[in-house]
Amino acid sequence: MERHDAIVIGAGLNGLVAAAYMARAGFDVLVLDRASAPGGVSAAHEIAPGFRLPRYTLGSGGLPPRIAADLGLAEHGLRFIRAEGGVSIFPDGSYHASYRDGAVHRREIARFSRRDADAFTHYRRDMLRAARGLAPLLSGPARVRAKGLFAGLRARLSFADRIASIAPDDLNDMLRLWALPMSEYLDTYFESDAVKAHLASAALIGGTLGPCSPTGASRLVGPWLSETGGAMGGAPDTLMPYGGPAALVDALTGVLDANGGRLRLEAEVTDILSKDAKVRGVVLANGEEIGADAILSGLDVKRSFLSLFRWKDLPEGLVERVGRVRMKGVAAKVNIALDAIPEFPYLPEGCPSLGGGLRLTGHIPAMERAFSDWRDRMPPRDPLIDVLIPSLVDPSLAPPGKHVLSALVQFVPETLHEGAWSDDRRDALRDLVTARLAEVSPGIETRILACEVLLPDDIENEIGLTGGDLAYGETTLDQMFMNRPFPGHGGASTPLRNFYLCSPSAHPGPLVMGGSGANAAAEVIAALGGRR
Amino acid sequence: MTPDTAPRKEEPTEPNRADIDPQDEQAPVDPALFEEKPAAPPFERTVLTTPLHLVTSLESRTNRWTDWNGYTVPEVLTGLEDEYRALRGAAALMDVSPLVKYRIAGRDALAFLQRLVTRDIENLGVHRAVHVVLCESRGLVLGDGLLFRLGDDEYRLVTEETHLAWLMDSTEGFRVRIEDVSATLGTLSLQGPLSAFVLMHAGIGDIASLAPSAARWVTIAGMPVYLSRTGASGDLGYELWSDAEDAPHVWRWLVECGGPLGLRAAGFSLRELARLEAGLPRAGTDYLSAFAAIDARDALPPAAIWASPVIDLDKGVFNGRVALRRRADEPPARRIVSLAIEGLEPLRFSALSLEGRIVGTATSTGFSPALGTNIAIAVIDSEVAAAGALLAAAERRDGLSVRETLASVRVLAGPARSHPRRLAVPAPLRP
Repeated sequence: MERHDAIVIGAGLNGLVAAAYMARAGFDVLVLDRASAPGGVSAAHEIAPGFRLPRYTLGSGGLPPRIAADLGLAEHGLRFIRAEGGVSIFPDGSYHASYRDGAVHRREIARFSRRDADAFTHYRRDMLRAARGLAPLLSGPARVRAKGLFAGLRARLSFADRIASIAPDDLNDMLRLWALPMSEYLDTYFESDAVKAHLASAALIGGTLGPCSPTGASRLVGPWLSETGGAMGGAPDTLMPYGGPAALVDALTGVLDANGGRLRLEAEVTDILSKDAKVRGVVLANGEEIGADAILSGLDVKRSFLSLFRWKDLPEGLVERVGRVRMKGVAAKVNIALDAIPEFPYLPEGCPSLGGGLRLTGHIPAMERAFSDWRDRMPPRDPLIDVLIPSLVDPSLAPPGKHVLSALVQFVPETLHEGAWSDDRRDALRDLVTARLAEVSPGIETRILACEVLLPDDIENEIGLTGGDLAYGETTLDQMFMNRPFPGHGGASTPLRNFYLCSPSAHPGPLVMGGSGANAAAEVIAALGGRR
Repeated sequence: MTPDTAPRKEEPTEPNRADIDPQDEQAPVDPALFEEKPAAPPFERTVLTTPLHLVTSLESRTNRWTDWNGYTVPEVLTGLEDEYRALRGAAALMDVSPLVKYRIAGRDALAFLQRLVTRDIENLGVHRAVHVVLCESRGLVLGDGLLFRLGDDEYRLVTEETHLAWLMDSTEGFRVRIEDVSATLGTLSLQGPLSAFVLMHAGIGDIASLAPSAARWVTIAGMPVYLSRTGASGDLGYELWSDAEDAPHVWRWLVECGGPLGLRAAGFSLRELARLEAGLPRAGTDYLSAFAAIDARDALPPAAIWASPVIDLDKGVFNGRVALRRRADEPPARRIVSLAIEGLEPLRFSALSLEGRIVGTATSTGFSPALGTNIAIAVIDSEVAAAGALLAAAERRDGLSVRETLASVRVLAGPARSHPRRLAVPAPLRP
């Protein structure tokens, strides 16, 4: 039987990060993927010849500089673009942009409220304080200190005296952030509806909470977690890999290759060989068996356990625990190829923030209505649409003068109250999105060369992501940190020996791009005994 | 055909402009003239200019500019040494328009301000100014500034950073109106031993009688100017507050009247050096507002920033009183001090160490001609403030090589420069 030190199932972003870390540490790594090209969710995709954009995700976000530096991705051609933080356009035609520069961003807020421009200082402090508090938790396991840190966190949370020793005001700041709904939390800083809507719309994308759902405020910290978030005193910027997420995949496979790791495509793992809660190898669809000291799954937690194992081989209670993990699709993806540059008459000419994304959103009550529609499994009537036109800052993604447009339509249910999505409903959604785009960019509908709509169900069917949940599991507090993927296993290791999760279903999940892969690699390297 | 009936040759006439008749007061006016133009979006000009930008550009020999509170101001206009000589020997004129100015007015203005600041301002007379400190509820400093009383129920608060959200959040229950009037005012700072003399030459009568921290309305070259005997130089000095449109003309007039007396226009570097010599910490540089301090340790109580901050615990309720009362007995863990660092040449340094341990950070540094040595404002651990053996790690480039030197540091008991002239009444007209 063929043997390797480690096998990674799924050549998605996190799987490749984990494999690259292990290969660099001298491990003999094999990555298996059932598709004919690596990348998983981030795989290269052409909607029309020469029009490249990620099929399932928006395509913004970059690996943390720490991971990029650890793996030497720059040597394999990876470059990042820093764009401004994006623009929101509201139904009344007004807009709110984000700028990295503190003075400019404050002047932008002052267009709505001078008071809020000043309040931004206080808001930024609290966001950065929270982000700094979280940072050691998020990057810790990558430095093989996961156990100590999590034990430390548990100790901190369990000892009442520890909490009593925090100054009451600090404790209150912390509780407000982790307990309040986003809308109420923003009310404590800002008075302008536009300012609040701009911040909330950015934080809602990809989550299963509405702006008025309790505990939602913690999502506001997300954009500030990047190591450069708010470094210039203004709003956090948007980081994009040059060439799109596919370029990340290329660079990672390059690192894997250069360090002797192997990538086998069109090799679907159908079973995992296990005995007495200990795994020792995988079985491919063609019946081939491959052994390994460690097996890392880049699939989501449900698929990893429920489809790769015989349920009776799993330890007691695990099937139920995995079953209880909530994975829900919240967004549909719309990909569009454009014949010419879209115009945005509501935005001032040359607005640099447009490169960082565009959100079509009402104020907070409208977002809450969109959220209740989702909860009631209604087809979206007035969704929050997050648009990225990556070819504005990265012309390599489309033929000269032409553009690609990615849109995430937030709050699209997996199934409707009336049953599965019908073709009429799907067409209605496409028409709704193009109509909303045409409202802010007249004439865009005449420039569309190709358009595709991917519902959560399509995402599940095509890449096997349960529920089409791009977050790999709801990101509410009960499923984050030491609870991710399930309580007591905040990290990559699982109740099965030698079996690890390296997908965002494991801590830190979608909070840090590639973070779950890096953490998993660190745990495996530590468990298998360091550098080889 | 008589001339009367002959068809008249069409004379070239003015195009039909019946709608615009200069004699007719009711004539329609081009509405575009009065249309409110949308302001330029913030990204178009990332740094604003002050009302005095044109006149300072004309004075600038160096074309060196710097960013102060989001405004472009000259860093150096002629040369720092030259400007410093004028400041200490004659007079220097600086553009300080980027300071933040709030108008606080209303029948509860006094009560509101009593709530806002730590010192008792009950007895602040009209046309008087006083240094005030703003604290939040934990007794940590948000900022400091000058408070002017312009009238019975009208005040002006001048600060380094914006505080509008805190001011407005504190108005609950007070009948008071707060406006940011920063953009409507041009502010000039005239500092130096001859500053009173220059003002006298500029046509202001009885300037010597203006007491320190007092102010009055004067007319300079026909323009109304609010003149106050204030400034951050540790010497005699005045600040002139005028309409933004008038400010360039006031500037030109002062330069014209003062030039022959030795007055020099100066840039931001001189203001920083004068402030450093006077030992005045600046918000955002030497200390951080409690609302901006991401590391909680960087938020300081008043006693850490000023040697003897005025805190009137008995004046009644004010923001931070409970916490400040509690803090009154405990010395702050860190404090801001003025330092002298040996070594003649201008040094670049920021870390301050004691026995190999970093115990503080120099936040403003410069070479003080008054003391003939490098000086700094620094925040250091309180317990080492008394210890003598502090060292500053300085880096010196020599060609392509770099030398690291450890310079010994002395904590100064008082400011590097403070001239009794600053408080003299009447103000001396000659040095």
